[in-house]
Amino acid sequence: MKPLTKPTLQNICNQLASHDWSDAELDELVNPKLGIITGFQDLLDELETLRKIDLGDTPPALTVQKR
Amino acid sequence: MMTTEIAFQDIRSLRKMIDAKTITPGEIVDVFAGRIAAYNAVSRAFITETTEDAATAAAMLTHTDLAGSPLAGIPYASKDLFDVRGVPTTAGSRVFHDRIATEDAFAIAQLRAAGTLSLGKTNLHEFAYGATGENDVYGTCVNAYDPTRLAGGSSSGSAAAVAFGLVPAALGTDTGGSVRAPAALNGLVGLKPTIGRVPTHGVVPYCWTLDHVGIMTRTVADGADILSIIAGYEPRDPASINLPQENYAQDLGESISGLRIGIPANFYFERVDPEILMALERVKEHLSDQGARLVPVTFPDMEHTRTVSLTVQMPEALSAHSAYLQDRGELYGKDFRAGLALGQCVLAEHYVKAKRFIECYRQQTNALFSDVDLILTPATPEIAQKLGTVKTTRDGVDEAVGNAITRFTTFFNMTGHPALTMPCGLHSEGLPMGLQLVGRYFEEKILFQAAHNLERNEAFSIPLPNVDA
Repeated sequence: MKPLTKPTLQNICNQLASHDWSDAELDELVNPKLGIITGFQDLLDELETLRKIDLGDTPPALTVQKR
Repeated sequence: MMTTEIAFQDIRSLRKMIDAKTITPGEIVDVFAGRIAAYNAVSRAFITETTEDAATAAAMLTHTDLAGSPLAGIPYASKDLFDVRGVPTTAGSRVFHDRIATEDAFAIAQLRAAGTLSLGKTNLHEFAYGATGENDVYGTCVNAYDPTRLAGGSSSGSAAAVAFGLVPAALGTDTGGSVRAPAALNGLVGLKPTIGRVPTHGVVPYCWTLDHVGIMTRTVADGADILSIIAGYEPRDPASINLPQENYAQDLGESISGLRIGIPANFYFERVDPEILMALERVKEHLSDQGARLVPVTFPDMEHTRTVSLTVQMPEALSAHSAYLQDRGELYGKDFRAGLALGQCVLAEHYVKAKRFIECYRQQTNALFSDVDLILTPATPEIAQKLGTVKTTRDGVDEAVGNAITRFTTFFNMTGHPALTMPCGLHSEGLPMGLQLVGRYFEEKILFQAAHNLERNEAFSIPLPNVDA
């Protein structure tokens, strides 16, 4: 995947997002400074790794049951 | 008895005093109201205190009420995500500054019916988004053992309230360790029951998939008694499980001989403060001496667990907050908005894949419980950190302090297994160290049984904090 850029996020948010996000907030996703969450690029890289892991026919988790 | 001595009594001891008529519930409320007035400025534990309402309720308790429940007449507090009828639920945020609850949350209603007395609503990381408990609006809770250090979060006020002797027990919520980790950092017992065992109805959601109601107490028995009251079924909570009520204190004092205790061979004993590792070695020795069998277990690949958790958390949080973002977006704190913005950009495929990973984690962890009855881990890899600390470094690896606080707890929110943290010694820096026990689904009784056995060994007890200093 190509590295994420702010214009890419701006286009996504302009056309698809349900909420308005400020320039500063999009900057934070591209170049995180608050130190609270994973940088978005790092997250995307990890998600791409996860995507390639074959989970067979495992469904999404729902409620738990007594065994 | 001195006010301070009453303030640090556990629930069962307070009830014995009530039953012996050496003190009334109203007098107990007065003691804690005085302490909240004296210590809230330093601890920052409470956002809203309701001690006058509690005094009124205490005065109305009858002999029949007191005889009807082991918790009647006992004060408690709840994290300010729980709705308490007629009281603000701020969620630690400006966004909810004017939100007054019209109905009790499920757990609060159970406690009210049992005759307990709510002393107020406790501080938290805004909307439970974060494990440090830092809050720009209501202040940051400090650690009772060292007020230059964090209480931890997100149920920071609940931990501080119990640790400072402002209340004998508190409810919190636990989405990645937000009850267990601050309990451990403050020398308390923290329980996250099996997901679905305590309904989350009436609790401001952060992440439906991972949110649990949890309990903080001074003793294991108190935790068992509270769970016996608040466990139940609520059809308005789709994760709620319809199982019979249980007496979770039933097996306290029973031998643990023959219990099989899983000791993780990977992840849980890596990059940990050496003093915490030494404390866990003493715990293992004790368990062996008591006749338990230590069995090595290997967890699935843990490399991606935090990413999986985050990928579920942020889209769910965004969905939960969508209406408020529309109307009051400018009132959110910067860090939470940043998280919500991230949630906006996670794809649906990512979210579903993460939920499938969670199902894998559940199946793999259930398989481990074919060979063991419990699993033992450290509660946290580090002791409470100094206020303002951004990252910790252990064995050359940097880690955001919030991630470090919850590194060993967050996985069991995904799997949903019950988990309990408790003290296991005092660090040379004067801060509590904690262990974590994890059990099979709905087998909280075994957790309490083993934890109670450990609690009775004085080698693992820690002194009360010297909050007056």
